[in-house]
Amino acid sequence: MLVNKKKLAAMVDSASSQTPIEGRSQWQDAMVRFKQNKAALVSVFVLFAMITIAFIGPLLSQWDYETIDWALTGNAAEMGAPSIANGHFFGTDDLGRDLYARVLQGTQISLMVGIIGTVVAVLVGVLYGAVSGYFGGRIDNVMMRFVDILMSIPYMFILIILFVMFGRSVYILFIGLGLFSWMDMARIVRGQTLSLKQKEFIEAAVASGVSDFTIIVRHIVPNLLGIVVVYTSLMIPNLILLESFISFLGLGIQEPLTSWGALISDGAKTIQYGTLWQLAFPLGFFITGLFCFFFIGDGLRDAFDPKDR
Amino acid sequence: MFSFIIRRTFSSIPTILILILISFALMRLAPGSPFSSDRGLPPEVLANLEAKYGLNLPWFEQLYTYLKGIIFSFDFGPSFKYKDRSVNDILAQGFPVTLTYGLWSFFIAVAVGIPLGIAAAVRHNTKLDYLAVGFSIGAQVLPNFVMAPILVIIFTLWLNWLPGGGWNGGEWQYVIMPVIALSTSYMASIARITRSSMLEVLSANFIRTAKAKGLANSSIILNHALKPALLPVISYLGPAFVSMITGSVIIDIYFSTGGMGQFFVDAALNRDYSLLMGVTIVFGVMTILFNTIVDIAYAWLDPKIRL
Repeated sequence: MLVNKKKLAAMVDSASSQTPIEGRSQWQDAMVRFKQNKAALVSVFVLFAMITIAFIGPLLSQWDYETIDWALTGNAAEMGAPSIANGHFFGTDDLGRDLYARVLQGTQISLMVGIIGTVVAVLVGVLYGAVSGYFGGRIDNVMMRFVDILMSIPYMFILIILFVMFGRSVYILFIGLGLFSWMDMARIVRGQTLSLKQKEFIEAAVASGVSDFTIIVRHIVPNLLGIVVVYTSLMIPNLILLESFISFLGLGIQEPLTSWGALISDGAKTIQYGTLWQLAFPLGFFITGLFCFFFIGDGLRDAFDPKDR
Repeated sequence: MFSFIIRRTFSSIPTILILILISFALMRLAPGSPFSSDRGLPPEVLANLEAKYGLNLPWFEQLYTYLKGIIFSFDFGPSFKYKDRSVNDILAQGFPVTLTYGLWSFFIAVAVGIPLGIAAAVRHNTKLDYLAVGFSIGAQVLPNFVMAPILVIIFTLWLNWLPGGGWNGGEWQYVIMPVIALSTSYMASIARITRSSMLEVLSANFIRTAKAKGLANSSIILNHALKPALLPVISYLGPAFVSMITGSVIIDIYFSTGGMGQFFVDAALNRDYSLLMGVTIVFGVMTILFNTIVDIAYAWLDPKIRL
């Protein structure tokens, strides 16, 4: 008995000397799981390096993205190859413009299109989905039917028509891409909202007289953030792909500005002259960038939702 | 089931109408006339031209004529730029080309992707599985506009096996590269989705029961696991078809196949609005019809949907 009492006292002692166990939030859990995913972690570093190069790199070159090196014009196939000597680290394009500066400039634009377009799409999609799911019933029916209709239209064609009609500026590209890609997000958010609004804390908010708008913004949307983060990270590369697609057709970004798609298109047009570097450098950046985004997205999905693989 | 098919088919009609209305509205809202050029036509000539194409009428009358033409005689009107040809002529010329390699691509993506996904799931964590996963990750960053130049470099410039473009009436040498370029990334997605849903189904209780009964592995997979595992794949086919159709624009441009995409981009650059609308509507109707078929197939396969 005595021994037992001592043990008990020791246990009480050690228990009281320990700090209370801290609860871990969903976000901390997700961070831990994300850090275990090597591919995703490496991708974060590579992507960070790429963004840094894209914005600082142009300062290191004596050429900018629109100046033509007249010494090389018309002879890009023979003299435009990558060389340190004349300062064209990645060679020149067909017109004699420095490819290094152009690739970095294209990287800036492509990343910006991906990120800003995604922000537009996420804002619209989350609000639309949350409103539709929260109010339910007939409103939900009408709103989701509208999304169904929009989703079954090959909007790429409509988007191209928009570019043709209202001019090709970067801003139309940002907004247009965003406005045509929110539907998936709206569907996912609506599904989550439908199950969220059954929860007690929403009931409590309704009972204490909080307005619908405040409930959506303060209580529903913050609880959706996990899933939104995951789909956002997967949306960025898809928008970059879309933008590259349009620019590849020559309908997107306008000269002298450029983007990955436009650079790949230019490089692809001249491969028969043996100027492989004109395709290889933009393609290398494009593939690396997309890989990083996809790995980060997959990593986030596994981190936030370990069941769903 | 029958009534569901009827209902689903009819519910696609408003979608088609909305598509036509959107394209029509865009065309009306567009600044400038399709005939205004750099040289600047005299106003009388412009007025005559607009009268010839019915552009001087009020918008509802134009819409009515346009809709009537499409619905009753499948007529998309004259092209604004190709003076001697109607939109229908151009569609009839380009559409078969796009359809040929489009259907081949779709067929190959499904016929290779699904078995590959199943094999990877059944041989989970073997070399075959890793190969399939590696392929599907790699192909994510190889969309058609990246595949096309790479294929040309390999097969035309280095190996000199295949022609780098053209169509030549659809001879097989000319079809191979467009089909590979268009189908690869979808094949990978289909394989990935099939694999993950097959893995999930294979760990379900009813599969364990089937194993406990002593059923042969092949019979478990084909008779019990396949049907539920294919549901997510089928719902992916709709969006895949839409983006394949869009992707065909790239293929047409890059390989100069003479398909719809080339006309579409030309029309976009030339502001040939009637041709733009015609192409958009035909592609749109195709996607909407395909989505309807996918929905019906889904309802047929999914035991949870009661009709």
